[in-house]
This record gives sequence, C-alpha cells and structure tokens, in this order.
Amino acid sequence: MVLLFHVSIAQELFLVTDPASNVPANSLGVNVQQLLFKEEFKSGYNYHLMPEVTYELNKNIMFRATAFASNRGNNLITEGGSFYTKYRFYSSDDLNSHFRLAAFGRYSFNNSDIHQEQIEIMGHNSGFETGIVATKLIKKLAISSSVSFEKAFDNKPNYSFPDNFGNDATNYTLSFGKLMYPRVYTSYKQTNINIMLEFVGQTINDNGKSYLDVVPVVQFIFNSQARLDLAYRHELLSSMLRTAPNGIYLNLYYTFFSIKKSR
Amino acid sequence: MKNILKRYVILVSIFMLLVAKANAQISKAEIRATGLTCSMCSNAINKQLKSLPEVVNVKTDLNTNTFTVTLREGNTLNPKVFKDKVEKAGFFIGSLVLTTKSEISNQNAYILVNNAPKSSTEIQIQVLDKGYVTEKEFKKLVKSYTNVTTYALINEDDFHIKIVN
Repeated sequence: MVLLFHVSIAQELFLVTDPASNVPANSLGVNVQQLLFKEEFKSGYNYHLMPEVTYELNKNIMFRATAFASNRGNNLITEGGSFYTKYRFYSSDDLNSHFRLAAFGRYSFNNSDIHQEQIEIMGHNSGFETGIVATKLIKKLAISSSVSFEKAFDNKPNYSFPDNFGNDATNYTLSFGKLMYPRVYTSYKQTNINIMLEFVGQTINDNGKSYLDVVPVVQFIFNSQARLDLAYRHELLSSMLRTAPNGIYLNLYYTFFSIKKSR
Repeated sequence: MKNILKRYVILVSIFMLLVAKANAQISKAEIRATGLTCSMCSNAINKQLKSLPEVVNVKTDLNTNTFTVTLREGNTLNPKVFKDKVEKAGFFIGSLVLTTKSEISNQNAYILVNNAPKSSTEIQIQVLDKGYVTEKEFKKLVKSYTNVTTYALINEDDFHIKIVN
C-alpha cells in the first residue's frame, strides 16, 4: 500500500459552504483551519484552531470529526468537538458540468461560555445542525447553496443557554467559485488559483434577529494535491448580538489518499 | 498409451481455446470523465486508475478530462472496473473506448449493436450502456436501440458495444 498526498474538486471547495460533492472514496482528508476574529466589545483578537479529519466511506457518504480550541479564556485550550456526515443523494453529470444534492448533519459539543446571540456550533455552541446543499458546476464556475436548521444546547457543564436568546436558527449560504488560473492545463504540477465569494446568513427562528456576512476567498491548489485558503469574513447586516463578526481565515488541507493495489 | 495421448491432445486443445478466449482482452482504455473541470478532480481519477495492478500507465489530457490507460497483457478486466474507479473518485464516465481483439464480440458478455467485426485483429469499441455514456446520450440511445432487447434492461454484467473503427 502506498500513501500519497492528494485532494479533489476545486472551485467548489468553498470555505463556508461544504459542497454537495465529496472527496474520493477511501481517502482521508486532514484540514487545519485557523480563525482570527477581532473582538467588538474589548480589545484584542479571538483565535480559533480547528483541526479536522475527513473520511470518505464510499462515493456517497463522508464523515468528518473536528476539534475546537480557542484563546477566549486567554490561553489556548480545547473547548469541544464535532461530528459531521454528508450523504450525496442526487448527481447529474455532463461533460464539464454537474448538479448535485446532498443532505448533511452535524453534532457539536463545547464547554466555553455563551457570549452572543449568534448560534455557531463550529467552535462556540453545543448543538446540532441539519440541512441540504445543492452544487452546480458549469465549466469553470461553481455555485453552491445550502439551507439548514441549527439548534443550540447548554454548553455543559458550566454554561446554560441563556433563556432570553432564541436557541434555534435557520442558516443559509450562497457561494460562487471560479477557476482563474490556469486558462489551459498543461500538467498536474501547475498551481491553480480559485477565487470565491460566499454569502452566509442566519435568522433566529424565535425573534427574527438576523445577520448576513460576505466572505471573499482566495484559494491556491498546489501540485493537484494541497490546498490553501485565505479569506476575510465581513458583516454586511446584523440585528443580533455578535462579539467578533469580522476576521480572517487560514485553511490548509491535504488528503492522504491510500491507493491499494486492488480492484 | 495412444488413448492417453489422444486425451492429452484434446485437453490441450480445449485449454488453448480457453486461452484464446481469455486473450480477447482489453489492451487500452480511453476514458472521458464527466462533471469536472479542475486538475485536482482529474488527479483523483488518475490515482484511482493507477491503483489497478493491471495498469501499466495512465496518460491524461487535463483540458478534455480524457484518460488513456494502457493495460498489462493477459489481464481479464472488463469495462465495469473503469466505471467503478471513476465513480469512486466522485465522477462519472462520459465515454469509454476500448482497444481489444476482434474476438471480443464472440464473448457472451459483449453484445455488438452495429456491423460485424472487421477482419483486423485489433479493433476499437465503444461501450454504450448506462453509466458509460452521458445521461443525455443514454436517453437517445435507448430510443435508437429499441430493437436490441437487452439494451434497456440495464444489466450490469453485459456490455453493449459499437465498433468505432
């Protein structure tokens, strides 16, 4: 058995909207995501580190486990984790295009303090999220959109979810990605550059409080194997309490692809 | 003694016949994949194909997503192996053209839908079944092959083939 580095799919590999497509079967993806968000109500920055492993069981089902660490308590400490699964249930492909639909679910636990109305089970709240995502690829342009239901629980053992906040929300995303370089492929070694623009919104179901963010992303793909994302998240609109809405992302992704000499 | 020799000759002849059939193998496969435009996607397919022990090498045209797979002699691969590999990478086959011996059309698993094989020993055939052509093309083919009763049955173990040269 030989182990190789490698990853799949590019201009639809969004930072926020996980596309309806999957990574190759029998592969193991390793991702390290880092977030640095500016605190609104105090000085300084909120740093999050989220290492992640993704396993593709077969061509339709994938699993992902994530660990959450942050410096909200001044030192970098591990606060929780998350399990994610996605099932691709529809796929219609043509030459240089495809349309895919997938259903996904995530369960997270977190022990940090609850400090904002925004529900975010990626590194802030305990809870679950379930939804569907659609992805359309037309030549060099990918468009992906998702809708999901997200519910927050108490951040056990020390922090209950505040009674005056709504504890469930509807999330929606719309993402565009375009392959900018190369215009014509010559080899697998060429660096690819994708640019993306993602819109991310949430409405708290109880009270209608909402936000809408925009996330421009530059993505580099090296050697058709490794991926680097640089992004900036900016709040466009908000009617809810958020402690650190604006910040940057740095994402590094590899897939350890086990090629067994077999059928 | 003569009897034994006779039997031996018969056995050897049967064996030779079997070998001849098994030799009607695929020497090259040209796969056009669908649903992708990025080099990482293409690499996923490339790696899947290279994982087959029967594969000697894979040449890729990244701009058309065409993979030319050269296979070891004596292999017993059938078209389904390529379909499985491409789908494992997360994509689909848009066209599959195989270079093979003309005897292939005598094998039970292969159903020839156009003219009989030419006298040349090496031929190129396209697999026309669902999963080996684009969805649009399959819909068209179902209409044009109403006379081939097995075609619309979508049996995974038989392959409808067209000689392309």
